[in-house]
Amino acid sequence: MNVPANATAANLAENWAESLRSGQLEQGPSWLRTLRSAAASEFLLHGLPGNKDEAWKYTSLRRLEDLNPALGVTGTGVDAAEWIPLLSPAGGFGFRFVDGHLQWLHQQAPQGVSMLSLQDVLSATGQDQLNHLRPLLEAVDVGGRGHAFEALNTALLRDGAIIHVAAGVDAGLCLAQWGLGGRADCRLANFRLIIILEQGARLQLLEQFQDAGQPADKPGNEPQKNAGQALNLMLQAQLAADSVLQHVRLQSAASTSILLTFSDVHQAARSSYTCTGFDVGGGLVRHDINCRLAGDGARAEVNGAFVLDHERHVDHHICIDHLAPSCSSEQFFRGVLGGSSRGVFNGKAVIRPGADGSRVRQSSANLLLSDLAEIDTKPELEIYADEVEASHGATVGSLDEQAVFYLRSRGLGDTAARRMLTVAFCRAVTARLPDAAMAEQIAAVLEASMPKLG
Amino acid sequence: MLQVKNLHVSVDGKPILKGVNLEVKAGEVHAIMGPNGSGKSTLGHVIAGREGYEVTAGDILYRGKSLLGMAPEQRACEGVFLAFQYPVEIPGVNNTYFLRAALNAQRKYRGQPELDSMEFLRLVREKLEILHISDDLLHRAVNEGFSGGEKKRNEIFQMAVLEPALAILDETDSGLDIDALRLVADGVNRLRSPERAMIVVTHYQRLLEHIIPDRVHVLADGRIAASGDADLAIKLEDQGYAWLEQGGIVALNKMAGSHGGRRAGA
Repeated sequence: MNVPANATAANLAENWAESLRSGQLEQGPSWLRTLRSAAASEFLLHGLPGNKDEAWKYTSLRRLEDLNPALGVTGTGVDAAEWIPLLSPAGGFGFRFVDGHLQWLHQQAPQGVSMLSLQDVLSATGQDQLNHLRPLLEAVDVGGRGHAFEALNTALLRDGAIIHVAAGVDAGLCLAQWGLGGRADCRLANFRLIIILEQGARLQLLEQFQDAGQPADKPGNEPQKNAGQALNLMLQAQLAADSVLQHVRLQSAASTSILLTFSDVHQAARSSYTCTGFDVGGGLVRHDINCRLAGDGARAEVNGAFVLDHERHVDHHICIDHLAPSCSSEQFFRGVLGGSSRGVFNGKAVIRPGADGSRVRQSSANLLLSDLAEIDTKPELEIYADEVEASHGATVGSLDEQAVFYLRSRGLGDTAARRMLTVAFCRAVTARLPDAAMAEQIAAVLEASMPKLG
Repeated sequence: MLQVKNLHVSVDGKPILKGVNLEVKAGEVHAIMGPNGSGKSTLGHVIAGREGYEVTAGDILYRGKSLLGMAPEQRACEGVFLAFQYPVEIPGVNNTYFLRAALNAQRKYRGQPELDSMEFLRLVREKLEILHISDDLLHRAVNEGFSGGEKKRNEIFQMAVLEPALAILDETDSGLDIDALRLVADGVNRLRSPERAMIVVTHYQRLLEHIIPDRVHVLADGRIAASGDADLAIKLEDQGYAWLEQGGIVALNKMAGSHGGRRAGA
């Protein structure tokens, strides 16, 4: 059946309805089938969010509608082995999800770390493990239009990976590599990543999202008009007491790609979650990051830098929920927007009653390099507890002309001076990475992605 | 080296310089003094090419060529250097990286091969040694978190690396204690050379106790009111700028005509 090129949101949900009803996802026990079908019903009932939904006010799904991807995956030939990630740090275990196929990377996971494919767990032999995951899988809120993609992710639950780190184990570096694009037919791939850190466990997670057809959407080039792909990724992380998850994301997908990520991080006492994300590509990108600081002294830090050109659209929606006393959280974002790109930052921190002695910091600073670029920035604080230390700030501006003159007066050309200052602006975020070599590599990626000036 | 001819400059339509004439030859150090608001800093900025200054009449000739049509970076590449009164803090840009990029931009302009990081480091170490500056400023972001003295020393260090033919030091003494002042002045003195001209812009005479100028010019109300040798600076310090405004110019001009007397700092 031919589908019109510009389906409306309703049409898109309609097009997906058949796949959702057809019951092709019969794997798993009955409770899981019930979970899937309940999520499918929610999705079919509410459909996709629109600009009347507060959380989607600045981010239209028009591009997803235009792309009109079918659900599910059919491999048509991008070889995961030929896919070259931008960052290749030494060592690291992990996986690659390219062209709808999960592939383990060569290095074995260290002792105390288990890495499983969700599909394997869904098979008859994995029932025990699946039962352990049940509370986690059932905890996903799929109700209402605002949770359409979580509902879709649950309804289509099949592809995924589970990483478990035993108590006290330092798992080292885990690589998660996502290939987008490169295929002839448009698909919305669906993936669930589950990370469980037991008490005192540590993990570094390096995620890279890029076009499967080429190493990266080469900065400065006009967007390629290849068939786009979409990925609906949900990350669920459970951090037991004193565990540490260091999460780095580098997204350099093609302009035609659509990426939707939803992270739910549940944190017990004194656990620490640091997410530092870099977006230099993609067509439509939405990151939802929710952290629940449920135990005393837990700490969450969500940092991000985005360097956008052309018509890219990157939206960050962050909510850090302080539920226990003496927790701290920080959101630190830097955005550089050129072309007719658009950025959205909606960073919220909620200090619940009883979460006394919380510390919250939020900072969002943005540079607009073109008259057509746009940023919507909205830091939000809701405080219902006592003795809370909170600061927040948001700025939108252009480069400091005094600094530009200073550099030019030393011999640097206007463009070189502006570029140097713009990269420096983003280095405030790379400087937060614990690995200096990786920070330099990512700074170089940011620099190479800088929009043309003027 | 530098000829400023009947220079008139306005900022937002308000005349600041009203006919400045100045000639500085290679090897000379000239001091420009004057009260606040006299246009001292404007002169430095206009020579360096800062935006926001409108040249309504006159010209600035450097090695016989007019600077007025040149972008700031072109002036820098031609050998003009301005040491800022308020060096700008640039978080995220490493001092060494920045200076190498600047030097290589200048070398490229002059058709010289660019220096790789090893060659550059060798040059930088040599300059640090000459100026007695510790190398910790190499590893820091440009001026970020620098004390007043460190910022000014960094300006002198940049000057030493870029080796300009014409250097303008804009109130390099402001905000410095006596030790920092001496360090900065020593640095400047080491960079004096027969091929290099320097203009030292200052409000106070104290810097000129350490950097002995060949000529001193007093800028008042947008014009050079008097010119003389180093003694002129001492006279000014004794009398203050108020005296100048109350008719002291005549006396100054008389003084400027005479020679000899003690040299400052000698």
